[in-house]
Amino acid sequence: MIELKNISSVYEDSFVALHEIDLHIAKGEFVSIVGPAGAGKSTLLRVLTREQKPTSGEVLIDGVNLAALSNDDIPLLRRKIGTIFQDFKLLTAKNAFENVSFALEVVGAPTSRIKEDVPKALEIVGLADKAANFPHQLSGGEKQRLAIARALIHRPRIILADEPTGNLDLVNSHDVIQLLQKINELGTTVVLVTHNREIVDALSRRVVTMEKGKIVRDQAENGKYII
Amino acid sequence: MMKEKLRRVIISGWTNFRRNSYVSFGTTGVMALVLILFLGMVAVNFLGSVMVSSLEAKVDVSVYFKAEASDDAIRMVKTDLESLNTVKSVQFVSREEALAQFKERHAQDALIQESLAELETNPLQASLNVKATDTGQYASIVSFLETHKQRTAIDKINYYENEAVIGRVQNISQSAQQWGLIVTLILAVIAVLVAFNTIRLTIYNQKSEIEIMRLVGGSNWYIRAPYLVEGSLYGIFAGVLALVVFYSGVASVSSKVALVMPGVSLIGYFVGNGIQIVLMALAAGIGLGVVSSLIAIRRFLKI
Repeated sequence: MIELKNISSVYEDSFVALHEIDLHIAKGEFVSIVGPAGAGKSTLLRVLTREQKPTSGEVLIDGVNLAALSNDDIPLLRRKIGTIFQDFKLLTAKNAFENVSFALEVVGAPTSRIKEDVPKALEIVGLADKAANFPHQLSGGEKQRLAIARALIHRPRIILADEPTGNLDLVNSHDVIQLLQKINELGTTVVLVTHNREIVDALSRRVVTMEKGKIVRDQAENGKYII
Repeated sequence: MMKEKLRRVIISGWTNFRRNSYVSFGTTGVMALVLILFLGMVAVNFLGSVMVSSLEAKVDVSVYFKAEASDDAIRMVKTDLESLNTVKSVQFVSREEALAQFKERHAQDALIQESLAELETNPLQASLNVKATDTGQYASIVSFLETHKQRTAIDKINYYENEAVIGRVQNISQSAQQWGLIVTLILAVIAVLVAFNTIRLTIYNQKSEIEIMRLVGGSNWYIRAPYLVEGSLYGIFAGVLALVVFYSGVASVSSKVALVMPGVSLIGYFVGNGIQIVLMALAAGIGLGVVSSLIAIRRFLKI
């Protein structure tokens, strides 16, 4: 499903963000990527969404080489992926319903499907009664749940979550992780980048540890947060 | 599918416009000012051209014939003049008509009337009043007359007396046109820059929104289109606002302009050309809005 072959990413000031990374993530996996700040975790996710091109190496998603994508093809790639960010990245000018429906509109879904699916997704994340609220009228936990609703509404094959609990308290963090687990159980591949030791340890799934742009440890099962 | 997308794009553009009412109000206001400036320039150009053409209408060249010149000779000169394409009109004034006009003009002056009564013959000459299509053509018309075979029948041509005046009118009309064009162009550039910058700032506020839409998988056109709709809405509202303000301004100023320039109706001109003016203002508004949005949004779509 996701294949990284010998990926390196060097910034203009010759800082090496990723160094010869090889990683394979199979369909339906739940992988946590951990490591100290500056280890290259977020760069790795940006490479997967083609926000950033690696300096060398090959990225394949569903067998498609991302380097070969034209500017017009990038939206098609991103529609296969649901992305969740630490800072939520919600559309502030749109209300909760519209934030979620936007992800369906861009894939050209018919209005009937939007009317049916969006309330369901909001229901799943517990925001059914806040459909008309704008992001600034929601709490941090609600914002992140809304972002999750948006990420899963178009039934993506992959969910990338970059520190989704970074701005949340314990209870809200727990809710968010539970949602991600539920989505994973339905067959979606989940890649979670996090700093949160408790969460990683409680998940007991595959854990990839990064340091200084390299993968230093890859625990296939019952992984623990070890730095 | 396309229809559905178009509908969504228009609704989304309208919603943005409505929800950003504070910003929309400011942007529309600035654009309306720009359009009023344009309309003002149209008015100034109109008044300028009316002024110049009324000056030009006053300029002509008169050819005076000797008392013994035959009617045939005069008619021949007239026909030849009329065949020139530089000549707009030729008016013949016979000696009798000239006398009648002279008497009428000096009807109040008893001394002149008495002197005329004492004269046994008509002292006035038959003449042709020649108007050129363009003030620059008088010199060539006069040289045509100088070489005409009936030159001997002509007593004098008053071009030489009027030469200075004709030259001055010509200068005024030329420089009015040139300066009008230069000033119009400069103001137009400033106006476009102001409107463009205002829209750019409006869109800059939504920079992160555009980036998010890209990250969620929105195609460039799907992201761009609502902003173009929003831009054209600014244009339409600004156009309507500018027209309302401008026409009320013209209506209140028109009678004062008529005092200074008799026979000129500013409101008449703008009502008469109403459809063109309205279409022009709306087209300029929409064009300005859409093009500015298009350029402004371009740099945020590179993620």
